[in-house]
Amino acid sequence: MHPAFSVLIFTVTSGAGYGLLAWLGAGQLLGFTQTLTVNQQIIIGLMAMVLVSIGLVSSTMHLANPKNAWRSFSRFRTSWLSREAVFAILLYPVAGLYAAAIFWQWPGVNILAGLSMILALVTLFTTSMIYASLKTIRQWNTPMVPALFMAYALISGGLLFLAVDAFFGTLKPQLQAVVMGLVVITLALKLVYFFWQGKPQGATIQTATGFSQASVRLLDAGHSAPTFLNREFGYQVAADQLLRLRIIMTLVTFIVPLALVYCVFGGLVRAELLGLAWLIMMAGLLLERWLFFAEARHVVRLYQGEQRT
Amino acid sequence: MTQSQDLPQFEDHSKQEHRYTTCYMCACRCGIKVTIEDEKIRFVQGNPDHPVNKGVLCAKGNSAIMKQLSPAKLTQPLMRKPGTERGAGEFEPISWDAALDILTARLANIRATDPKKLAYFTGRDQMQALTGLWASQFGTINWAAHGGFCSVNMAAAGLYTMGHSFWEFGDPDWENTKYFMMWGVAEDHASNPIKLGLKRIKERGAKFVAVNPVRTGYQAIADEWIAITPGSDAMFALSMMQVLLREGLIDDEFLIRYTNGPQLVINNPGQQGDGLLLRDAEGNPQIWDQHTNSLQSALSPDVAPALIGEYEASCGTPVRTAFSILMEKYMAPEYAPEAAAKICGVDAGTIERIALEMAHVAFKETITIDTEWTDWAGRTQTQFIGRPVSMHAMRGISAHSNGFQTCRAIHLLQVVLGTIDCPGGHLAKPPFPKHIVPPIKPAKGNAPNTPLESAPLGFPTQPEDLVIDENGKPRRIDKAYSWDAPIANHGLMHMVISNAVAGDPYRIDTLMLFMANMAWNSSMNTAQTMDMLRAKDDTGEYKIPFIVTCDAFHSETVNFSDLVLPDTTFLERYDTISMLDRPISEVDAACDSIRQPILALDRDVRSWQEVMVDLAGRLKFPAFTNDEGQPKFKGYEDFIVNFERAPGIGFLAGWRGKNGDKSLRGEPNPNQWKAYIDNQCFFKFELKPNQRYMRHANKDYMELAKEAGWVGSTDQIVIEIYSETLQKFRLAGQGLYDGPQPTEEHHKERLKTYFDPLPFYYAPLEQQRTDAEEYPFYAVNQRPMFMYHSWDSQNSWLRQIMSQNYLYMHRSKGEALGIKDFGWAWVESHNGRIRAQVKLMEGVNPETVWTWNAIAKQQGTWGLSDDANESQQGFLMNHLINELLPGETEAGGHRMTNSDPVTGQAAWYDLRVKITPVGADETDLAEQNLTWPRFDKVKPLPSFTPASKMSSYSTHPNINISRGWRDIFSRGDK
Amino acid sequence: MKLGLVVDLDTCVGCHACATACKQWNTSGTIGPLSDERPHGKDPSGSWLNRIHSYEVGDSPHSKTVNIPMSCMHCETADCVTVCPTGASYKREEDGIVLIDQDKCMGCNLCSWACPYGARELDPNSGTMKKCTLCVDRIYDEQLPEAERQPACVLTCPTSSRVFGDFDDPDSEVSRLTRERAGQQLMPELGYNPVNTYLPPRIPKQQDSIAVSPMQGVRQLVNRIINR
Repeated sequence: MHPAFSVLIFTVTSGAGYGLLAWLGAGQLLGFTQTLTVNQQIIIGLMAMVLVSIGLVSSTMHLANPKNAWRSFSRFRTSWLSREAVFAILLYPVAGLYAAAIFWQWPGVNILAGLSMILALVTLFTTSMIYASLKTIRQWNTPMVPALFMAYALISGGLLFLAVDAFFGTLKPQLQAVVMGLVVITLALKLVYFFWQGKPQGATIQTATGFSQASVRLLDAGHSAPTFLNREFGYQVAADQLLRLRIIMTLVTFIVPLALVYCVFGGLVRAELLGLAWLIMMAGLLLERWLFFAEARHVVRLYQGEQRT
Repeated sequence: MTQSQDLPQFEDHSKQEHRYTTCYMCACRCGIKVTIEDEKIRFVQGNPDHPVNKGVLCAKGNSAIMKQLSPAKLTQPLMRKPGTERGAGEFEPISWDAALDILTARLANIRATDPKKLAYFTGRDQMQALTGLWASQFGTINWAAHGGFCSVNMAAAGLYTMGHSFWEFGDPDWENTKYFMMWGVAEDHASNPIKLGLKRIKERGAKFVAVNPVRTGYQAIADEWIAITPGSDAMFALSMMQVLLREGLIDDEFLIRYTNGPQLVINNPGQQGDGLLLRDAEGNPQIWDQHTNSLQSALSPDVAPALIGEYEASCGTPVRTAFSILMEKYMAPEYAPEAAAKICGVDAGTIERIALEMAHVAFKETITIDTEWTDWAGRTQTQFIGRPVSMHAMRGISAHSNGFQTCRAIHLLQVVLGTIDCPGGHLAKPPFPKHIVPPIKPAKGNAPNTPLESAPLGFPTQPEDLVIDENGKPRRIDKAYSWDAPIANHGLMHMVISNAVAGDPYRIDTLMLFMANMAWNSSMNTAQTMDMLRAKDDTGEYKIPFIVTCDAFHSETVNFSDLVLPDTTFLERYDTISMLDRPISEVDAACDSIRQPILALDRDVRSWQEVMVDLAGRLKFPAFTNDEGQPKFKGYEDFIVNFERAPGIGFLAGWRGKNGDKSLRGEPNPNQWKAYIDNQCFFKFELKPNQRYMRHANKDYMELAKEAGWVGSTDQIVIEIYSETLQKFRLAGQGLYDGPQPTEEHHKERLKTYFDPLPFYYAPLEQQRTDAEEYPFYAVNQRPMFMYHSWDSQNSWLRQIMSQNYLYMHRSKGEALGIKDFGWAWVESHNGRIRAQVKLMEGVNPETVWTWNAIAKQQGTWGLSDDANESQQGFLMNHLINELLPGETEAGGHRMTNSDPVTGQAAWYDLRVKITPVGADETDLAEQNLTWPRFDKVKPLPSFTPASKMSSYSTHPNINISRGWRDIFSRGDK
Repeated sequence: MKLGLVVDLDTCVGCHACATACKQWNTSGTIGPLSDERPHGKDPSGSWLNRIHSYEVGDSPHSKTVNIPMSCMHCETADCVTVCPTGASYKREEDGIVLIDQDKCMGCNLCSWACPYGARELDPNSGTMKKCTLCVDRIYDEQLPEAERQPACVLTCPTSSRVFGDFDDPDSEVSRLTRERAGQQLMPELGYNPVNTYLPPRIPKQQDSIAVSPMQGVRQLVNRIINR
């Protein structure tokens, strides 16, 4: 799949934003936001919503006919993208109410915190299902994809929360342990995913063309220059390049941030480096998202001569 | 389907109009129905009532809109700017009046001094009856159409064997055939009819065998694909002949009744007259009558001729039947399947099996149609016997220097199986069959201000008919009908430029080209051809002083012109597809058709037909001038209606007579054009059931044919398995002919070797002179179904299917050479080298490489942008081919033409090449993804408007179907 | 009704007539125009609703070339309809035709991600998705002669390799052909239940050879008494 820059930014940025908001809400419910002032909590909430907003704006940029974007709420019944649009928009008034509840210390603040957290997680889920529900892309068509999406959001949001929390004066070792644990779990899940994805399975050029008992090779695509389908689905990365990038991504997304967080909480380095760790993780997640698209091989490629996806 | 309640009205039919005409995206001549809206084309579809295409239409016809909107359309007459170089692309607009004045003056001068100095050649056109008449009236023998580099082998072989041939001359009997064999066909001008026919035979359960080194197109759907070695089809055909002869599987009845098989041939080697037919005092050929055991006239109806045997003439000269010679020839060991297999790449078992399959169909699956018909001798017959094996062949056979004999070999197979013009066999299409051959001799004259004594092209039957001077030197600029190419029935257009520049046989003054791209894909050796067009002599004058081009589009040849006369598109003019020309007849009907303007002209162009008539009037051609010395015809339409080639015979056969109630022959009808337009632009005259078959020996048919002017007499058309014509030329080569004989050694050798009165296999000439080890691959072209030569890269829809061509090669061969799929390679012949991108495939004869023809374009032409794929990645195989044979010069210092020695047909597919991968270290990287050689960019013409980067064609705003909100919110998954 | 096409791979010669007829009809049709980017330039790329792919099945020397035209399959359970957020993509209840409402599409491309067959392409000019409409603007038009109320591709196919009809009607040509020629779906395991059906190439005709006896040797051709 062609990795559209706007979509990469969208999912990574808004993912971090939803994650941050979820941690904020959890913090309200579990009590670890008590070290933060009202203003500081609102700042965190604002940061989350800004990240979410950057992401959402970015996502509309890859629309070829944006004047109809307002219609994207209409097919909630069947479309994950519609659901994502609805929940994403719903989150704004809910988050706004939550902020008001914090600011004016309403009694219902816990409910709003819980709602914001749930809504953030649900939005994340629906976003991931846009990809995971597609039977045409076997690399995406697995429960591991929504799990990983949500995990990335939680670890990037969580790391950002730790960084901001530290900036506001507190280091929370228990929270850090939870976040670091989540990073390790996510890494493990990602490695399982790589292993699973590497197994040959699914449609082949034989099942695509109906000639299952013989070799099948493309002779002529019917057009000698690329079409929309080639541009959208024909992205090709060499196998050795892919492996290199996966290794880099693993290091940058997981290993280096883990190491940095460990050093900060071990007192070896200044707490400000948590922010750096987050930035590094975000860079890594951008690469992860790029790989997510680059590794995805749509079955339509079989009709263009690919033997299997 | 009835109107669905919720759908809007999509088309405003009240604003639409249907107009009928004939397509000209290629030479198939399908009937089309064009829907016009606001003077724009809404839709082009096949006319369901049209005899050729019956409602279907190919990719090209469906893209007519984009041809009409091509940015490459010429818009005004142009003159090369004085003082600029030819080919530099510096043109200035000129008015039609000025252009025609200049041209008239020049032509009048040539006509008054030395008419042959006008060389007038036509390309993709279909109007030889008019252009040939014009040339004849002008008085220049230097006229021909493109057949010499297209498919004259196929046409001539058929006309000299059975009186008709493939494509427009005849068709397989799709309705009745049970076995259809196709030789050397990719896309063909019988485009849609072949497609319709193949569907029909598949539905009917007939077997379809395709012989072609490549498995694409029609071959894809064949029941059996034969991956023949290019140029060796005669070996395959004649080896099958041996199998048939060996097993006695021949239709002796057919051979005796309808062919010259039983005719007696003088068997007197080394003597004059050897190999000619034995004739009596009246000139009739003789047979041995088994009733009377004596020599009798071969034309007598009451004889029982011996098909096989050796006899004596009354003077004691040994004679034998032609068929005996045939038997001896093809029973020779060289044609045995095991030996043949080595040459043609078809294994011996397959050769045997296919021959026996055809024999089974012909003799065990015979069909009969009960109809009373009268044969040539006036006897009533009660049925037509059908041996339902049919064949079709095209350029894969024709474009070789052995193509004439190869095509004759295929015809001979058809003849011995008795499948000529019978139910299930190969059927002629009116005005064919014609006698072998029509009594038209090519003209030789060259008198100032005098028309030729006959047409420029004709049918030689003996050395006396050659168009040569008293020293045996060619009179024509293309050397057609000389010892170089005696039966050059379609001329040798591909030799004109090089001969004119070499001054051999002489220099010309003006080269006039119509619809031909000689500076690019219609020439061999493109770079050299361009140099020749620019060549100057010592005085600084161009060796071809004046080049006039008529074309509708900005082709590479337009760039080399001195005067450009812009033509209309086919949707903007009147035109005829005439019985005098290459009509659209069907096997059961004589048909012709017209074109009418569908769109008004929006630029300063004129149809070449109009210009031809105009010039004819200005130059005062006798046939175009009335008694007062004024132009006889007001224009093309007037000419078509009123011109009569013979009393009652004109260009259009339908609605003749003053009241338009006569068919085929009748006085001019002033309303003839309207009659055609009112009848969807075509005319169909159905043959009666008793006229349908065996027309070469069918009096019911021949009487109609004579009345219509298609044949000169109702005599039987005797099929010639043995060609006395060729034997006469062979005798001339042997020095045994009582008449003109060649004086040069190489001519003698060619006549002795290749003018065998019976077809035979010989290796193509270029291959005889090329080292097979150094150049291990055969290289051929195929024409794609969605493009017609150079004509469609300007078409924005069709070029999206293909804007770049690849060199296809067998996967195992490519891998052995280290060439990957889509890797670049050098392709090299004795003539030059090119760089091309390679595509590996399975379905190709392993010794063959091929590409689609004419995709590549010169940068700057055809309305394409400078970075268009056609000029950057596309390649022409033409650059590797030379119009002369390789190797040492023949005796006399001349290199022989790379053509068939009988007809002069250009031998495009004889090419042999070697392939090497482009090394990573070769050439700088920037050049890696580009073809080579590169050509100079052609300048845009005055008032050229480049195409925009986004095109959105529509004739009315779209009527969208709106989905309601209720539906959007309420529906689930489905 | 369950409208769709039968495509006969036994007779498709890959001529592209159906692709250009479709382009021609639809550029002025209900979802038109079908735009072309760089129509005379480098790598021209336009909006097409039907494309022809050619494949080689098997290995040399036994390979067969098969031409497969592909356009929207009008699937029974079309994911392209499921995923569309604006409701532009939908399947008509009365006849099963899958359409894209050009006034509602926002060009998010998601439906093309959901389509296994490459049926949907983004028009470079309108920014909306376009695909085969089964010529809904022809098949119901009572002002067209009845024989012409067919999709443009079906009308034009020179080898009659395309048939249009109602798969819900067991007596229709499409139903009959599917039964008699073992019509197939492409990539059925994805579960989209495409309605368009492909007829596999027929088993090549087996032709009898005339029997020759190897013991016979060379038969001597003799003259028979046959009158001219």
